[in-house]
Amino acid sequence: MDDLWRQWQAFAQLATPRAPGAAGAPAGFATFEDAAERFAAATRSFRDGMAAGASAASAAAAAETFSNFLRDQYADFFKMPWASAPGWAQAQGWSQAHGAGAGPGTAAFELPALGLTREHQERMQRAAHALRDMDEAQRRLQRLWSDTLREAASAYVSRLGSPAGAPLTPEATYKLYDTWIDCAEEAYARTAHSEAFCDALADYVNAGSRLRRESSAGAEVWAKLLDLPTRHEVNTLAERLRVLEEQVRARPATGAGEHAAGPERTPISERAPVSERAAGRERGPRPRARRPPKGKP
Amino acid sequence: MMSPNLWSALAAARHCVAGCSAKEEVWRKGKLRLYRYRSIAKPAATPPLLIVYALVNRPYMMDLQEDRSLIRGLLTQGLDVYLIDWGYPDGADRFTTLSDYIEDQLGGAVQTILQDQGLDALNLLGVCQGGVFSLCYAALHPEHVRNLVTMVTPVDFHTRADLLSKWVRKIDVEAWVANGNVSGDTLNQLFLSLMPFRLTQQKYLELLRGEADAPRIENFMRVEQWIFDSPDQAGAAFREFVVWMYQENRLARNCLKLAGRAVDLAPLKLPILNLIGKRDHLVPPASSAALQRLVGSRDFTTLELDLGHIGMYVSARAQREVPPAIAAWLAAR
Repeated sequence: MDDLWRQWQAFAQLATPRAPGAAGAPAGFATFEDAAERFAAATRSFRDGMAAGASAASAAAAAETFSNFLRDQYADFFKMPWASAPGWAQAQGWSQAHGAGAGPGTAAFELPALGLTREHQERMQRAAHALRDMDEAQRRLQRLWSDTLREAASAYVSRLGSPAGAPLTPEATYKLYDTWIDCAEEAYARTAHSEAFCDALADYVNAGSRLRRESSAGAEVWAKLLDLPTRHEVNTLAERLRVLEEQVRARPATGAGEHAAGPERTPISERAPVSERAAGRERGPRPRARRPPKGKP
Repeated sequence: MMSPNLWSALAAARHCVAGCSAKEEVWRKGKLRLYRYRSIAKPAATPPLLIVYALVNRPYMMDLQEDRSLIRGLLTQGLDVYLIDWGYPDGADRFTTLSDYIEDQLGGAVQTILQDQGLDALNLLGVCQGGVFSLCYAALHPEHVRNLVTMVTPVDFHTRADLLSKWVRKIDVEAWVANGNVSGDTLNQLFLSLMPFRLTQQKYLELLRGEADAPRIENFMRVEQWIFDSPDQAGAAFREFVVWMYQENRLARNCLKLAGRAVDLAPLKLPILNLIGKRDHLVPPASSAALQRLVGSRDFTTLELDLGHIGMYVSARAQREVPPAIAAWLAAR
């Protein structure tokens, strides 16, 4: 189970926190405490395994176990939260079963669209391809992340070397934890700056944009059928309004009632409600108590 | 195990709100609000200072709490401080462009202040993306800006350390934005991904391992509130900013145009104070430092502090050093 997803869930629980000891779900920060305790336990095991007198084989095994623990802790960072949501696996399976991930020319989404619903079929094909591309890019990100964690864990184990036999106090554990974070961030920075990572991230975002575009187009079809306003229609109206505003702004001032220059004043319709102004939180345009003009000293 | 005391302190801090200095709204346009802060010290003999914050977070970070407030520090120095709050764009703002923000909104705020105070020019303090806006405005209207202060402001978007820039360079921004806005949550996810181990785990463990000290926890909660109180970004302006700055680096390459007018930094001769955070992970120091070679100003001061991006305006060290430095620099000009 990935920590980040649990942390997210834990934060969501903060909206309805419970006092410690209350029945039900753990308090919001429990997941962090849990992570810290697991870290401390793994660190203790590692130190025991590396203690003076341990055989080379047991030391190597302790290092590997510890390294694996660290990697497991963060393994699913690039697994998107919705990947574990109901329906996601089916959606991917559907996409692959219909050919978006299969060989060319063999499945429904690789065939030319025909007939009355041709446009709709093509839209679904494009959506399926985008879904496949997102999945593929996400796997590349996940691989890079996994490599990063391996590198970070390896650097951390090397940095610890043979730990001294001093007792592992809470303060010492925190210091070790901070060292781990340093190692992890350093390894991640190297990955995050790499071409491979930038390419995978861009591919993921770009495929997501395509999927959203096709999904929106599908939603618009339904909106039209139900005679609901579509985003395109609203955008068109907004554009028209914008052009009109620009034309009004560009119109030369001709009468005394028009401002030839200077900023606009707040229209009445945009002023804060009287109740808000009375509360002193959102005041309307102030009664201008002029200060004497200040000049350059 | 989290102590009951810590739990109580956290629970008590849930509702603490940011913002400590008295202010009044003096102008608004659309969602923009222009605030003027009430003076708390003997007025300094300098023109008013307009703070231009970024679009990507809320400007109350400038005035978080009494001991962490750049604005309060500036007021203490006697400065007459104004602040632009860009508001929360919604779907109706999706076609708002950079030109709208800079020429109409920032420009309108400047005109309001100048008219009210009977001045020809004021001082501008641009923070992060707001620094880019301030630079553009100053380049287009140098007659209205007496002195310019840029704080953690990206100028060269193609420096080696700029991870955000590397990430977005291959993204199809047209498709990403489409005709909509970009959600604040998406941007936050991006920012967290810059340092995922520190920002998604270590900082919370640090919170838990400290004392159940109310001021410390309230400070943490206010910053936490600010970090995730991220407005959506107006689609058109976001697209322009990412393509023109991050992808094409137009500001540094001197080929930026706004509403058909060239934003040329070379003729900019006004005094400039450039504040740089040496440990800034969002705006690499080299990105900000590039400003000096692009402007024509001979009165150019760089102040590098050993701080991060956010530390530049909320750290204890920043509180001690930044407001007096800005006030002294302005007073000398």
